[in-house]
Amino acid sequence: MKKRNIIYSTLTIFTIMAAFLFTSCERDIEILEPATYPVIAEVFIDGFSSGLNYAAFGGSKVTAFDVDNDVKYSGTSSMRIDVPDYEDPQGAYAGGVYFTSTGRDLSGYDALTFWAKASQSASIDVVGIGNDLGLSANQATISGLAVNTNWKKYIIPIPDPSKFTAERGMFFYSEGPENNAGYTIWFDEVKFEKLGTIAHPDPAILNKQNQTTTGIIGQTLTIGGTYISFNMPDGVDQRIDVSPGYFTYFSSDEAVATVNGNGQIAVLGLGTAIITAKFGTLAAAGSITVNVEILPEKAPVPTIPATDVISLFSDVYTNVPVDTWATGWLYSTAILQDIQIEGDAVKLYTDLNFNGIEFSSQTIDASAMTRFHMDIWTPDPTTMPSAFKVLLVDFGANGVFDGGDDVSHELTFTANTNPGLKTEQWVQLDVPLSAFSGLTTKAHLAQLVISGDPNTVYVDNVYFYKTGGTTPSVPTAPAPAPTFPAGNVISLFSNSYSNVTVDTWSATWDQADVSDVQISGNNVKKYSNLVFAGIEFTTQTIDASTMTNFFMDIWTPDATALPATFKIKLVDFGADGAYGGGDDVEHELTFDANSTPALATGSWVRFDIPLTNFTALTTKSHLAQMIIVGDPNTVYVDNILFHK
Amino acid sequence: MNTFKNIISMFFVGALIILTVPSCDNSNEPEIPNWQLVWQDEFEGTAGELPDSLKWTYDIGTDWGNAQLEYDTDRPENVSLDGSGNLLITARKESYLGRSFTSARIKTQGLFEQTYGRFEARIKMPWGPGLWPAFWLLGSNVETVDWPECGEIDIMEYRGQQPNLIHGTIHGPGYSGGNGITKSFGFEKDRFDVDFHLFAAEWGKDYIRFYVDDILYQEIRPDDLTGQWVFDHPFYIILNLAVGGNYVGFPTSQTSFPQSMIVDYVRVYKGS
Repeated sequence: MKKRNIIYSTLTIFTIMAAFLFTSCERDIEILEPATYPVIAEVFIDGFSSGLNYAAFGGSKVTAFDVDNDVKYSGTSSMRIDVPDYEDPQGAYAGGVYFTSTGRDLSGYDALTFWAKASQSASIDVVGIGNDLGLSANQATISGLAVNTNWKKYIIPIPDPSKFTAERGMFFYSEGPENNAGYTIWFDEVKFEKLGTIAHPDPAILNKQNQTTTGIIGQTLTIGGTYISFNMPDGVDQRIDVSPGYFTYFSSDEAVATVNGNGQIAVLGLGTAIITAKFGTLAAAGSITVNVEILPEKAPVPTIPATDVISLFSDVYTNVPVDTWATGWLYSTAILQDIQIEGDAVKLYTDLNFNGIEFSSQTIDASAMTRFHMDIWTPDPTTMPSAFKVLLVDFGANGVFDGGDDVSHELTFTANTNPGLKTEQWVQLDVPLSAFSGLTTKAHLAQLVISGDPNTVYVDNVYFYKTGGTTPSVPTAPAPAPTFPAGNVISLFSNSYSNVTVDTWSATWDQADVSDVQISGNNVKKYSNLVFAGIEFTTQTIDASTMTNFFMDIWTPDATALPATFKIKLVDFGADGAYGGGDDVEHELTFDANSTPALATGSWVRFDIPLTNFTALTTKSHLAQMIIVGDPNTVYVDNILFHK
Repeated sequence: MNTFKNIISMFFVGALIILTVPSCDNSNEPEIPNWQLVWQDEFEGTAGELPDSLKWTYDIGTDWGNAQLEYDTDRPENVSLDGSGNLLITARKESYLGRSFTSARIKTQGLFEQTYGRFEARIKMPWGPGLWPAFWLLGSNVETVDWPECGEIDIMEYRGQQPNLIHGTIHGPGYSGGNGITKSFGFEKDRFDVDFHLFAAEWGKDYIRFYVDDILYQEIRPDDLTGQWVFDHPFYIILNLAVGGNYVGFPTSQTSFPQSMIVDYVRVYKGS
């Protein structure tokens, strides 16, 4: 039965062929046939074959190749390569490509063969096929080809002839001096052949290693070390290094990572993906396991009003034109990728050493701005001595690079600076422009250079802004009135309660100015030029021993982003009711933008703090002083009281 | 097993006959006896098992007069069924009893011996310099008359560094070792290590014919010999995979191990 089936199928094939032949006679002329390329096996027999060109590699000695009519393996001539001596001023090595301007159909062949010899025993760095001076997707090379003074036939297998239907890269070579000395190589009878005696392809990626790496979402990894070992007609295995495109790639979890036909892995999500490859139906040795464990959250959304901002990069603002986010300056290894985190555009730099960001065609006038802001996130260690540096460059009045008036300043951030570097957290590098002290002009800012030890850095929300612009400098409404029953309250300052006697709202020894203001008819204490302010009620100390909480409302127009802090200290004079005397106790609490409550600019912040938080305040029967300390230099204060 | 392959080869054999009939001179065709299958091993069984002990025994040792480098063992690491109907004779690079390689050499001595007939085996070769698989017959009187007087029919020998060539040879008194009567059969565009091929010798009273895939490439008759025709007594079968030796040369760093000679079957026929 089976035998009959095979005969039938054979007959069917003949029938189909006959049908094609028949219909081809009557085919309409409009029906285009797929482009076909000429089948030409010869590359160089005794001269350049049809359509063959030669191009020397950049940096090579361009005259290294010539046709030799004296030395040849057979026929009348050969290709002679004069490898230059070390430090030959015309070029350090010999190398070039023999290519055709239109492709050839070489799919019926399985190897390029040639005869070669040299003026001495030597190892040719690279010979290969499939270099078309372009993408060279079909490149296949032998490294370290041993030649000697006798003619010998060499074979470069075509790893996958089905890819060679329109091939332009016929042959290429590259070789430097041997022991600093130049010598001569001859190639002859260079042609494609169907040998049929190349067998046992043994494919490998990543040089057969099973690698493990930590992937970063948004990152692209490239698979290298792609080669196929073939058993040659003499039974010897030959490694052929090939373009990654010879393989098909597989990801064990495409939600974690995908891999394209050129072996480029796109890291997409949390989890683990194992990337493997096949050459045809053969599994390639080697794999890479990509573990993706960390994902930055979306960066904090900026809240500065757009009118106060000049933004280079943020989804919140309209950004000014930036020429490039990666200048690719010499020695910069940084790789930039534009990625999205929860729909928010982020710049991801990997392999960062230093990276230029340039906006020189339309420089930025930040002379009205007061602060620089940049959010960064890194998975890398940030403990000392790791550092991240931000350099701002102003091209000066002439607006051109190196015009004699360029100014710049670089700030260095470490784990110990403020703000300090952190691993796996968004860090808001929000600093006054005045900190860039060398940046004496800010009207033609043209470059921002980031550099550092964290090699992987996500960057978001890069902008200049000014403070106190549209932010009101005065509270527009009073703080909400406290609602504690009067019997549960000892009030120092509030329109809602009777207040105890306070000796002074700004002691002589403090650094602060105080004034009484009214907000919508509500009395408020306004501190300005605040460094620290002493509030004293020593004449009539307060017995808060039955109270549970300290309470106060504050409002500031100033920046409260880190590193800004606001501190509250309470002092009890102890049983003797007098300053000193050995029984004074005190405790200070510090608040910032990340504390509870958090400092905020332009809105009332209410402190309602258990007195137990003032842990060192072991007695509360003779409270006599309160000291406030602030980076916010202007602070409106209301409703200062104790309650239970 | 391999039904599909068998059908394919039958089909192609048919095609060959059809193609070759018009070009052949029938008068020179050798007389083909009507072969009757009398002995066979299809190597069916569980992977890792040794071959049938009722059919095969072992030559254990080394050198064999050829300076072979391997130590031949009867361990499954070196000789075993593959579970898919094949026998694997596997050469390994390992230190073993003072040698750097191991392999195996199995034989039917004392279990099956025959005078005349068709001896065939379907084999896929290993590859790499220094590997020397062979399918051969040795005169059963080797222990009484010694070699080469006992006679030797090498139905197939192969050198790993020439994967497209095999060799058929007979040895006897006056024509042994390097002076054996030999002929090679080669593929121009194929190799013996990528697919199975059928190697056969047909041996009669006054002829030994060598075949690859049923293509006759050598016939030796008593008249062709300078020495005595000693092919008139029972012979037994040997399958082995040598590493190195006078015939093949040394393996190189390029020879990958392990390497297996894969035998689909061995069949013996008697003419009627």
